[in-house]
Amino acid sequence: MGDRAMFDRIAGRVLIPVGIVVTGFLVVCFILLYSAIKNVVIKDSIGHANNLAGIVLKSTRYAMLKSDRELNSAIIQNISQQKGVEHVRIFSKTGIVAFSSNRAELNRQVDKKAEGCILCHAKKEPITTLGNMQKARTFKNNAGEEVLAITTPIYNEPECADAACHVHPASQKVLGTLDVGLSQDATLTSLSSIRGQMVLFSLLTLILTTAGVIALLKMIVLVPMQKLQEYTERSESNSHLAHPSNLPYELDKIAQSYYFLKNKLDEVEPDGAKTTASLHEEQ
Amino acid sequence: MEQAANNEAGTADQTASEVRAILRQGLLDEIQALRRFSNRGLWALSLFIGVSTLAWRQFPFLPRPQQLAAAMGPPPSTQIISMVLILYTFSAIILSLCRMMGNMLHRSSFCHVGYLSVFYLFYFLADGLADNYWAVFGAGFTILSMESYRIWTYCNENIHKKNEQLAYLERNGRLPLDDSFSEG
Repeated sequence: MGDRAMFDRIAGRVLIPVGIVVTGFLVVCFILLYSAIKNVVIKDSIGHANNLAGIVLKSTRYAMLKSDRELNSAIIQNISQQKGVEHVRIFSKTGIVAFSSNRAELNRQVDKKAEGCILCHAKKEPITTLGNMQKARTFKNNAGEEVLAITTPIYNEPECADAACHVHPASQKVLGTLDVGLSQDATLTSLSSIRGQMVLFSLLTLILTTAGVIALLKMIVLVPMQKLQEYTERSESNSHLAHPSNLPYELDKIAQSYYFLKNKLDEVEPDGAKTTASLHEEQ
Repeated sequence: MEQAANNEAGTADQTASEVRAILRQGLLDEIQALRRFSNRGLWALSLFIGVSTLAWRQFPFLPRPQQLAAAMGPPPSTQIISMVLILYTFSAIILSLCRMMGNMLHRSSFCHVGYLSVFYLFYFLADGLADNYWAVFGAGFTILSMESYRIWTYCNENIHKKNEQLAYLERNGRLPLDDSFSEG
């Protein structure tokens, strides 16, 4: 009975659709906006990771041309000590870890079906070129942290093929692969901060909209309706009633009609008030 | 002569009571139909939750998005799908509010389930379902809740009106002349 009364009241009838519409639309926009922001931030991270992979390749190029393993290892160790760098590895053409920031991984064979390798090695003839987004993959490391890794092929160049130290045939397009892993902690913290601010903003908007609707509804409709109701109830017991004041236009029209009818009734039937009261008692 | 008049009066009474019974049955049938129709929004919402469960499981009966993209061509980007989803949600809410204002009977709930399923499918094809699942779910839940509320209030008002007409018929033996009748 209480629920039914709530749905029957003007406030209930207005607030339920407004609540559903505003909440639902805000939630949908919030999720889509957050998803769009997340995509932009992740694309940005992948762009930065690709740049870093390019820097590593340029830094190690001279050492590779000279086949200086010690210098190569030192460069990779130094880069991996940079904050946010999770790992740096260089694989040979056959998938053996030639250089790594983690010495325990050295000379290990990598499964070509593993995530990050399968993308190029899915078919018999491996793919040699990849777009920036295709080079990226995300995974969780042993500590449970999110890592963004970039796998970049190391292409053969005329200097490599002609080098005196370790000749690669000119027909070999890819000499090996560089794998750089970056911690996503900073990115996830930024995203979490954006999410928190958006939730707060959405909640404030929701509260303001609902409060605004309630306030306007009360001021424009509910209070004048209450006045009109009190006026009609007062008129049942009082035969000489003054015209109601301070009512909005539509309600004022109703009150005027009621006032006019009541006066006419009182003229025709002086004990009209009694009649009205008796009608209520009969009901 | 008097007997003939009595017979005529008896026949007229009988016809009147038959007409009353037909009208009564008609009103009762309409009330029954409105009661059935008032649950339509909830049925649509249940169907949508079923589709959403399949979407949550990444449509296990469908091939992988990459295979589908290879067969059908590249899907639209997630940004375009999201923009269309916002436009659709906005239009559907405005339409529902207009129907609510106009007190219109419109059986549109189930087609919304179809549109929303297509959004799930497009996000699935664009490999963006995980990120945008709750957006489609929120949009669907909002639109179908609005439609349920609209249908439910429409049916309740009309059931109330039909009940008043039924009471009037029982008292006076005929239906009121128009909708603006008062009791008694």
